[in-house]
Amino acid sequence: MNPFQYTRSSAASGAIQSLVKEPQAHFLAGGTNLIDLIKMGVLRPERLVDINALPLRGIEAIAGGLRIGALASNSEVADHPLVLQDYPLLAQAINAGASPQLRNMATVGGNIMQRTRCNYFFDTAMPCNKRSPGSGCGALDGYNRMHALFGASEKCIAVNPSDMNVALTALEAVVHVKGPKRDRKIAFSDFHRLPGDHPEKDNTLERTELIISVDLPANSFNRHVHYLKVRDRTSFAFALISVAAALDLEGDKIKGARLAMGGVAHKPWRLHGAEAFLLGKTSGEDVFRQAARIAMQGAKAYKYNQFKLTLAPNAILQALKTASSLG
Amino acid sequence: MKKDKIGDPLSRIDGRLKVTGGAKYSGEYKLPGLTYGVLVSATIPCGTVSSMDIQAAGKAPGVLAVITPFNAPKVPGYQPGAARPVRGLKLFNDDKVYFNGQPIALVVAETFERATYAASLVKATYKAEPFETDFHKNFDKGVIPNEGRYKDYVRGEADAYKKAPVVVEQDYMLPSEMHNPMELHVTTAFWDGDDKVTLYTKSQGVIGSQRSIANAFGLEVANVQINSRFVGGAFGSSLRTWPHEVAAVQAARLVKRPVKLTLTREQMFTLVGYRPLTIQRIGLGATTDGKLMGITHESHSQTAVYEEFTENAVNVSRFLYASPNANTRYKVVPLNVGVPTPMRGPGEATGSFALESALDELSYKLNIDPIELRLKNYTDMDPERNLPWSSKFLKECYQLGAERIGWEKRPTKPGMQRDGDWMVGYGLGCGAFGAYRSKTQVRIKLTPDGSVNIQTATSDIGPGTGTAMTLIAADILGIPAERISFELGNSAFPVAPTQGGSQTVSSVGSAVHDVCIALKQKLNTLAGLPADNTAEIEYATILQRLNLPSLELTQESQSGEEARKYSMYSFSAHFAQVHVHSLTGIVRVKRLVAVVDGGKIVNHKTASSQMIGGAVGGIGMALTEEAIFDDRFGRYVNGNLADYHVPVNADAPDIEAIFIDKPDPIINPIGTKGLGEISLIGVAAAVANAVFNATGKRIRDLPITPDKVLMT
Amino acid sequence: MSKRRNAPPEGKDLLKGSRRDFLKQSSLLSAAALTPGTLIRAANEQWDEKVADAFEKLPLNLEVNGVKYSVNVEPRVTLLDLLREQLNLTGSKKGCDRGQCGACTVHVNGVRINSCLSLALCNEGKKVTTIEGLAKGDVLHPMQEAFIKHDGFQCGYCTSGQIMSAVALVKEGRTQSPGEISEFMSGNICRCGAYSNIVKAIQEVKNSQS
Repeated sequence: MNPFQYTRSSAASGAIQSLVKEPQAHFLAGGTNLIDLIKMGVLRPERLVDINALPLRGIEAIAGGLRIGALASNSEVADHPLVLQDYPLLAQAINAGASPQLRNMATVGGNIMQRTRCNYFFDTAMPCNKRSPGSGCGALDGYNRMHALFGASEKCIAVNPSDMNVALTALEAVVHVKGPKRDRKIAFSDFHRLPGDHPEKDNTLERTELIISVDLPANSFNRHVHYLKVRDRTSFAFALISVAAALDLEGDKIKGARLAMGGVAHKPWRLHGAEAFLLGKTSGEDVFRQAARIAMQGAKAYKYNQFKLTLAPNAILQALKTASSLG
Repeated sequence: MKKDKIGDPLSRIDGRLKVTGGAKYSGEYKLPGLTYGVLVSATIPCGTVSSMDIQAAGKAPGVLAVITPFNAPKVPGYQPGAARPVRGLKLFNDDKVYFNGQPIALVVAETFERATYAASLVKATYKAEPFETDFHKNFDKGVIPNEGRYKDYVRGEADAYKKAPVVVEQDYMLPSEMHNPMELHVTTAFWDGDDKVTLYTKSQGVIGSQRSIANAFGLEVANVQINSRFVGGAFGSSLRTWPHEVAAVQAARLVKRPVKLTLTREQMFTLVGYRPLTIQRIGLGATTDGKLMGITHESHSQTAVYEEFTENAVNVSRFLYASPNANTRYKVVPLNVGVPTPMRGPGEATGSFALESALDELSYKLNIDPIELRLKNYTDMDPERNLPWSSKFLKECYQLGAERIGWEKRPTKPGMQRDGDWMVGYGLGCGAFGAYRSKTQVRIKLTPDGSVNIQTATSDIGPGTGTAMTLIAADILGIPAERISFELGNSAFPVAPTQGGSQTVSSVGSAVHDVCIALKQKLNTLAGLPADNTAEIEYATILQRLNLPSLELTQESQSGEEARKYSMYSFSAHFAQVHVHSLTGIVRVKRLVAVVDGGKIVNHKTASSQMIGGAVGGIGMALTEEAIFDDRFGRYVNGNLADYHVPVNADAPDIEAIFIDKPDPIINPIGTKGLGEISLIGVAAAVANAVFNATGKRIRDLPITPDKVLMT
Repeated sequence: MSKRRNAPPEGKDLLKGSRRDFLKQSSLLSAAALTPGTLIRAANEQWDEKVADAFEKLPLNLEVNGVKYSVNVEPRVTLLDLLREQLNLTGSKKGCDRGQCGACTVHVNGVRINSCLSLALCNEGKKVTTIEGLAKGDVLHPMQEAFIKHDGFQCGYCTSGQIMSAVALVKEGRTQSPGEISEFMSGNICRCGAYSNIVKAIQEVKNSQS
């Protein structure tokens, strides 16, 4: 790692001011992604502002939902009784990611900010527009088996690697952030962005803004849910495809549906079309299959990820089957 | 008195050290003045380093030296005409770059952090030259290796399979696989004056390391001390002395302080070998009732442009099954890649995947049960060498394994059995690996308190060598294991072979056996008894009575003529039951039964673990492991443990190891044949064959990832 | 040996002198506004070692296996490297240095983490337990005993991390089935493949406690 300075911050405003003052300063929370990026030379910060002492760890019921502090660890969230009771999809998604040790370290805010696992991004000897704008996209004509199906650009075809984010998208979470001048709320689906011409920007957060909490609105998706993750080994691997599926069922009748996919886009990919199609239908394999087909409209594959065009709809079907207890 | 016998399930003698963190590995010796070495890797696959800017690195805090091709002190063994030349890459000896990731500089600094940072400041400019890393594109450039034993083999008629009534002809691909032992490769070196050097290094063979370092620096062998008491896994990656080990010694001489050079996990993908990418073509021809008429086995595998690597990929097809006609062809394709090195099961595992898959394909063509097909072509003598087997219980392996896995439940047609959304299938894969024995010396010392110390320069990379040796000694001497201390991993001990090729128990165990018998005879004689007296004697009393401070013996053991009169192999039959998810293509190995004819089993506890571990390695080969190149840059794109998928706990099913446990009457006095390799050989085919049985999809290129299942 | 600032690439003199003239200390040290730029300059421009140390290192107090340590560390030193290289507690292993293998698993305030991804300074005031702190004197922790009994290791290199993970796992209650144990032990890679024996060891400890 390059040498950097380290300060502990005890107040959010102070932490934010540190970043305002120093363009090469970064917030440090769990560090599971940041420290790795520094070790690999992808990031060379001049200062890390340790925010772990900020009082942002709480998980509490609020009017109309649940508030999760940005510094709550992934494990704390996944094991929390209110999460298990009201948002089991989130618990499943978190537990599908990384390893128990990493989930103990990683925070909710940090996980939201997790950077892509694209191999070209991590290897400073290869081109990557996200790491080094203008250097080219190594994956576009390279080994792109793990890469995007939706919303990619010629500049970048990387995917967001977080499982938690897929569930948060489906659950319509709201991210509360604090900036040097003002606080604001960002709908989860607006938080991450598509690469377009600026793949170096993963999301819409300003550099000096700090995530304070994630709010989950109350919903009725707490019974028929499933997070399915297809990966190259049984555990501790990034997704080839993942699907967050939640159904609000009255008997067989679908009163509501939430669907999102991971491993297919630069952001967690909400499947609005499929959700709309499912509304009012009777749950069943054929209906799910049709929903999956709708979800895949507009998908574009590259040389090594053609299989995702088959795997993704199959995974949607399987996730819906499991969520609805069809098997 | 408690008796510990060969075959007992003895817990590891070093278990306590390993579960308390007390076992010290090569990078864990706190030496005064220790410095840290970090390598800088090239970022082009071929060319020359035209210039290097080491100013920033040299000025960085705590930096003691920056060694490059332009300033490196000469390593005598690297020079033309060296009396004892060093094979392989000659690091920093010239400005040539042969593969991407090749070290071009070594930074030595006061701390790990400072060395690592300074290494990132080293800048190189290159004169890049055209390169080739694409194996498939260069397939036709394959050459027959220089070494004579790799020339084409023909028994009867070549390619006779083509004339048979039933023919299978298929290509099988195995990607490059990385050993990835959990311990990072590390060498700590320090000099005593100009002619003596000591290394703590990750080594499977301290004697080999000693000779290599002596050769590199033109030293007396006795002036090189190698310590490698604990080795954090190796699986072949520490069979030889690597250039970075020489570089650590070179750096230590320069800075006149101990240097600890640790490779990063990423560097281990290019600098310490791997199982090479291989494409094999198998041709099988049979009569309609399942008698093989011809076997043809061809293999192309990658090697480095700067050093040729070869292994026994095709040999299994010459002897495992009876066939009047058999022929093999073996070629290597030199590329701008790091040189491969044997990886557990080495070429035999590669070859067995292809042969055993093809045989499975033939069984469906013939509509004959895969076990029956193998029995129809069973051979009671080695058809390659025309010699009797020293022992072979493969039939028993088939039978025991079939019973244990529930082979009768296997659907004879593929894709017929389901468990919900999962398709269920069964598969069999067999293997064979040569049973070797090398010359070994062992020293034994008895002291008047009745304790016995045994020393030999063998290694233990994990199988439990010391534990097995202790059991052998306890059995022969008739004393409890607790009274015996066994020491290894030190080049000052009597000469023993490198731990590789499944030969340690056969070689070192025989020597321990022999030296213990010699000790008993000596004691008998001292006690005035006939040398071959078998009645129990109290050792300590004899020493006390004769007023001897200790009794010490060194004995050398080796094989005789038997290797010329017999064909000696371990055999295995692996049975897998898999579940394959119909929508996602996920494969789960649900059960695995490994039945092995490895001769006499010395320690059932550690031997079982070794078999289970090999099976997990085989599951990795079958389902998850693949090192992937981007041939535009000649660089790995998944050179780390997140993206190169070593199996995790959740990938490992219930694995059962079953031993025939019959001593081989020929090979050595104990009758052991070896387990390390055979535990893995055949597993990948068993899994692939089970996937076919479950799905009707024949996947011939490993690993069998969900995408391949779905798209086949 | 004199200091060399501009080593020619082919220079024969590779060795740098030990850090040299104690320079301008007072003015520099009193310039307490340590901007990051200053720090990197101190490092790269080879200010005197003691001055550089003052810039580069920060005090850290933590407890490891019941022993209190007060040390000065560079911010970039990880907890793992602090343990292994400075406190001489080499039981925690480095297998990847990137949180991808679990060999470095330790407990911080009772929670299992990958010490390779935790900056040492982030552990101010915390209680760290490593494999060396598990046994009570000569009495092994039941998990250590169970690993020996069930042969839950071969080469031993991942073992410290496996055991630290396993102890935490039992506390977390993720031991309802062999499948659950396997899943929640999947952050600890064992290349020797001792997984099924590890599961058996954990089951035994879990059963003996219930």
